[in-house]
Amino acid sequence: MPSILNTWIPFLYLYGVGGIFFFIGMYIVRKSGSLDMTRKSHKRWSKILYLGFFYFMFIHFILTIAALYW
Amino acid sequence: MENYHNIGTTIDWIIMAAYFIIVMLFGSYFGKYNRTTSDFFFGGRRFSWWLIAFSIVATGVGSHSFIKYSAKGFEHGLSSSMAYMNDWFFVPFFLFGWLPIIVYTKIRSIPEYFEKRFSPSARFIATVLLMFYMIGYIGIGFLTLGKAALPLLPEHFTLLGSTYDVTLMGVVILIAIITGFYITFGGQTAVIFTDLLQGFILLFAGLFLFVLGIDYLGGFHVFWNLLPPEWKLPLAHFNEPASFNFIGIFWQDGVAGSIGFLFMNMGLIMRFMATKSVDEGRKAATFNILFMLPISAIVVSNAGWLGKALSIADPGLVSPNTNPDQIFVVVANIVSHPGVFGFIMAALTAALMSTVDTLINATAAIYINDVHRPLKKYYKEKVRTVREYEKKELSAARYSSAVITILGVLAVLVFKDFPTVYEAHGFFHSTLTPPLVVAIFLGVFWRKFTPAAVITSFIGGVALMILGAKYPAILVAPFDHGTPMDAKYPYTYIQALYNTLVCSIVAVVITLTTNTQKSIVNKIRENDNSKMIFGSFTVISIVLFFMIILNIGTVWTLVIMSLIVSSLVAIVTTHYVKYDEVSQTLGLTSWSLDKAKEFFKGSKINNREGDKILVNWKIKEGEDDIINFSQNDLNKMAADVGDLVYITDLRWYLGGLKSIHSKIGEPHNEDGVVYLTREHEDSGLFIKGKMLRAEKEM
Repeated sequence: MPSILNTWIPFLYLYGVGGIFFFIGMYIVRKSGSLDMTRKSHKRWSKILYLGFFYFMFIHFILTIAALYW
Repeated sequence: MENYHNIGTTIDWIIMAAYFIIVMLFGSYFGKYNRTTSDFFFGGRRFSWWLIAFSIVATGVGSHSFIKYSAKGFEHGLSSSMAYMNDWFFVPFFLFGWLPIIVYTKIRSIPEYFEKRFSPSARFIATVLLMFYMIGYIGIGFLTLGKAALPLLPEHFTLLGSTYDVTLMGVVILIAIITGFYITFGGQTAVIFTDLLQGFILLFAGLFLFVLGIDYLGGFHVFWNLLPPEWKLPLAHFNEPASFNFIGIFWQDGVAGSIGFLFMNMGLIMRFMATKSVDEGRKAATFNILFMLPISAIVVSNAGWLGKALSIADPGLVSPNTNPDQIFVVVANIVSHPGVFGFIMAALTAALMSTVDTLINATAAIYINDVHRPLKKYYKEKVRTVREYEKKELSAARYSSAVITILGVLAVLVFKDFPTVYEAHGFFHSTLTPPLVVAIFLGVFWRKFTPAAVITSFIGGVALMILGAKYPAILVAPFDHGTPMDAKYPYTYIQALYNTLVCSIVAVVITLTTNTQKSIVNKIRENDNSKMIFGSFTVISIVLFFMIILNIGTVWTLVIMSLIVSSLVAIVTTHYVKYDEVSQTLGLTSWSLDKAKEFFKGSKINNREGDKILVNWKIKEGEDDIINFSQNDLNKMAADVGDLVYITDLRWYLGGLKSIHSKIGEPHNEDGVVYLTREHEDSGLFIKGKMLRAEKEM
């Protein structure tokens, strides 16, 4: 079994530190009004952005599980 | 390390030659769509998102090339795909910050943004740094192309009785000549369509190679079971080895590289600017990152994974000591038949050429916009007509493309001695990206960020970066997260964290001390010798900066010198640069995008939602950029006189190639008819008798 430094630590760091950048970005673009949540198309964009984050997280999670157990 | 030569057969070479000729003819054909420099560089801002999304594949895949990811796939397994799946963190900043700003402010290059947002001096330094970045990127592209071609060629060849060695630089020069051909005569429209064609071929070729390889090994389960568990993991080991570790690559590629790619890569930015609207640009970027990049990760890395499996199954067939940069060519040759190998190699080299030609085109755009035009303005050169002006600029754009190609070849010399292309690219990103990344990022999202802060982060930040490169064990080591330091290439990746941090700290501290700088400047101005004082500050800064470059002094003395340089530069900039905090942030930061839209349109924004309409077109006299619809058609579009409109040919598969943007003029009474000028007809290449689709833009 590979070391945790090879499996979950990189995963947590990637989505922990990367997540900080991502959520700060979402906060800034909403706060500044460039992502205007009163507009229908921007609401859709907001969903796409959040889904994108969890989509990549899911891919890395599944690939790590596959490497360890399949 | 085992090196290969003479891989491939005659039929492979014939297929490769045929492929290149077809691609060049294809690119040259689209040269006719370049009527102005706007067309040459930006493709006339007319294309649909899907066309741009697919054309970006060849650029993205080419730059994050087959060679370097196959090499890391061979050495470390599936974690070579890491760099393709860590770009999402900065996408909100790009889609709703930088992209609308660059489109709505109508800037033609990143340095131009620096002049509008900060000052001409900030633009000058940004131009220098960006030219280094772009030419370095071209150099990396040429190096990769050379390394891809070298295993195919003999070690020597004989000409007129003399024997010559086939060298990496010789191959690079030959490739540069071929690459320079259609970019010089084609322009951005040619690049977009060539990349579109190549994007499809590239994905097919890469996936086809994977299928062939899996079949060769005996099925997916054989391939999967041959790989050691560490090779199957999607992320690298946290901090080992020095040549490939998660933490270094996260900061170098996931942070500096992602921001650099999205915010600084003029080639990519110009591609988004070629879409018909900001929303289409967003769709293109999103689709590319969500779907095309993960597929591309498999496309570019799989040869390395197959190579590892083959080297375990049969070390006699693929030596575990194979030069990693040659593994793609070696595996492609083993698993494919003659002819198929030629096709795969042609697709690979063509993709790399796509990256290089996009970058050459983009660097030429920077040269024209930030060097050529300001110089012409300075020398007050007189040109008689607009047509003559455009002709001269187009000619300068083509000549500059040729010169940039030569500089790109020379840049190969800096990178060619790194163990693999991956490390060369890592070093390049870590070193050249941080100052501009920090400047653009803070410029767009922080209204308080000042010219003094941006110029100081360029100069003081770079000074501290130089010291980091000279004394990595002292300055970079505290940030290394436990990664070992390679003596020859210290902290190739994690240096990006140090470099980004020092530039950010300088930028933030100088911004937060703006009032202190102003009071110091005011006190000096009250002095009778103020001119001499500011002059001597400038001289001292220059002298200290050169002392840092020449490494005169101990490490801590040099660090103190860097801080003194930063302080002096901030004061001098505050004195010399005129800056209006209100006007120079309006429409230029993410906090005032509505204003940016108004500037773009030239009047108030019309946000009413209307329909797209189908219209026949007729020609009217005149040269003004105004088109006329009937009042009923305007009502359907929810458009008013003065609104911006986009008109396109109905055929969706042209992706907007035959289309124009214009402004709505006074209405007429013929419903279903739009009146255009000859210039509109020529620019849109509309066909007589074919209907058009019109939609209000804003």
